[in-house]
Amino acid sequence: MNPPIISLLLVDDDVSITGQVGAFLERAGYRVHCEADGARVLEKVKSFNPDLVILDVLLPGMDGRAVLRALRDHGDHRPVILLTKVGKASERALALEEGADDYLNKPFSSRELLARIRAVLRRAHDTPVSLTSAWKLTAGNLMLDRRARRATVNGQAVAMKPKTLALLEYLMTHPDELMTRERLLNAVWGWEYPAGQRTVDTRVAELRRALHDDAEHPAFVETVHNEGYRFIAPVRGES
Amino acid sequence: MIRRLIICTLPTLVCVAAGIAVETLAPGLPFLDVQISAGWILILGGILLSLLLALIFILHGLHRLHIESAIQAEKQTQTEAQNRFLRRLDHELKNPLTGLRAAVENLEESAADDPLPAVLPDIRLQVERMVRLTGDLRKLAELDEIPLEQSAVDLGDLLKGIVDAVQAQPLGAGRDIRLVVPSVPWPLASVMADEDLLGSAFFNLIDNSLKYSRKEDVVEIRAANHDRLIQVEIADSGPGISAEELPQIFEELYRGSNARHREGSGLGLALVKRIIERHGGSITVHSRMNGATGTIFTVLLPASAAGEPITKR
Repeated sequence: MNPPIISLLLVDDDVSITGQVGAFLERAGYRVHCEADGARVLEKVKSFNPDLVILDVLLPGMDGRAVLRALRDHGDHRPVILLTKVGKASERALALEEGADDYLNKPFSSRELLARIRAVLRRAHDTPVSLTSAWKLTAGNLMLDRRARRATVNGQAVAMKPKTLALLEYLMTHPDELMTRERLLNAVWGWEYPAGQRTVDTRVAELRRALHDDAEHPAFVETVHNEGYRFIAPVRGES
Repeated sequence: MIRRLIICTLPTLVCVAAGIAVETLAPGLPFLDVQISAGWILILGGILLSLLLALIFILHGLHRLHIESAIQAEKQTQTEAQNRFLRRLDHELKNPLTGLRAAVENLEESAADDPLPAVLPDIRLQVERMVRLTGDLRKLAELDEIPLEQSAVDLGDLLKGIVDAVQAQPLGAGRDIRLVVPSVPWPLASVMADEDLLGSAFFNLIDNSLKYSRKEDVVEIRAANHDRLIQVEIADSGPGISAEELPQIFEELYRGSNARHREGSGLGLALVKRIIERHGGSITVHSRMNGATGTIFTVLLPASAAGEPITKR
């Protein structure tokens, strides 16, 4: 028997996106339904029962974030990827707090979206509580309290700069995923710049020092040669 | 200021001197049929004239101050309007760009069945260029508002890291890049800065110098303490920039005549300037196209207050 086909609901009011991105995802083997009206997403989710929802933030009818909140209020915890336009750091943090499993800034590449869909689906399969909507994240003796913006190792508070904490937060909410430096820059800093490589490396080194993580034999952050970084410890989430 | 003071007090001095002279030579010399002597009239007249001049200068100064603040306010609203426009533009370009990117990727994926159209790589390149441009537009609009994560930054370390990063890139490989940072008798003062942001500005400047000079040209980065300021010069022995173009290079989307075939959004230097200004600094440029040709970008940044005071004579 063939494995069941995974279905996606793609919500965007721009035909150039639903048309082209939808076609790309279908080519990748998913069944894709499209919707343009935010107010109709809830009933569409009920009738179509998708495995994952891709949701644009700016929608006619009902704002994408409001749709997401309504979905969660109905006790629906299926994975959601938000498509955002504003790249500000605060906006990104908000997307996470409101229970999105990941977000992608426009103009994104469809290949990147595909990689995110796969990662989110795998994570949803592995962890019962969605890490991105959890307030407390635990990996071994490391604990991150996202609301208090505080990290502890063995119960001892670890001092770090806000940006370093944000980096840890992003890594911990996406464990076992290969993080390219570009992606980390985009997600944590909000903008990519040519000197980025170095910026990310400096922060990761800072993070490792704070966590007493050995770069050669890491317990948390692994260097993937020529590619980027990966958070290797299993992460548990608590809401 | 001093000139005005002299102008104001000059009538008083002249008249007082004349009045005293008149009083001593001919005391009580009657002036018309008034009861006061001519000498005193001269003295009083001089003082009055001085006061009048002072009043005129003060009123004039106030008026100019008023105009200046009006210009400042006008500039402010202009920048805000411009930022709003940039954000909207960026916003409106994002959806079609996402669609275009997906369309190109669709075509590339289908290449397994058909031979790839020859124009596809070119379209891809241009789409990516537009993506970069919209990204830079957004940064420019955001730069006035994003919070700075400030800490005491050692510019020497920062510059060294950037030079290493530049040399690891194809553009910087094999180039003669020199870094001069003072270490004795005291090191470079630190600056309060958002290290990542400031680093990107210096990276851009060094990158720029490499891009617009020849392979055999030297790029020299020189840092120095200047009182309460730190000066960083990024100098190259490239062909230089013409006097007509020089005043415009910090403008948004301005591309010099030698930039036509080079990669870049045309926003690099505009971004650099805004980053430096947000740190309370300034940037200027000097260039020469004859004789010893080359360009020097000079960045001035306020040194952080900490550190031993230096005695000067």
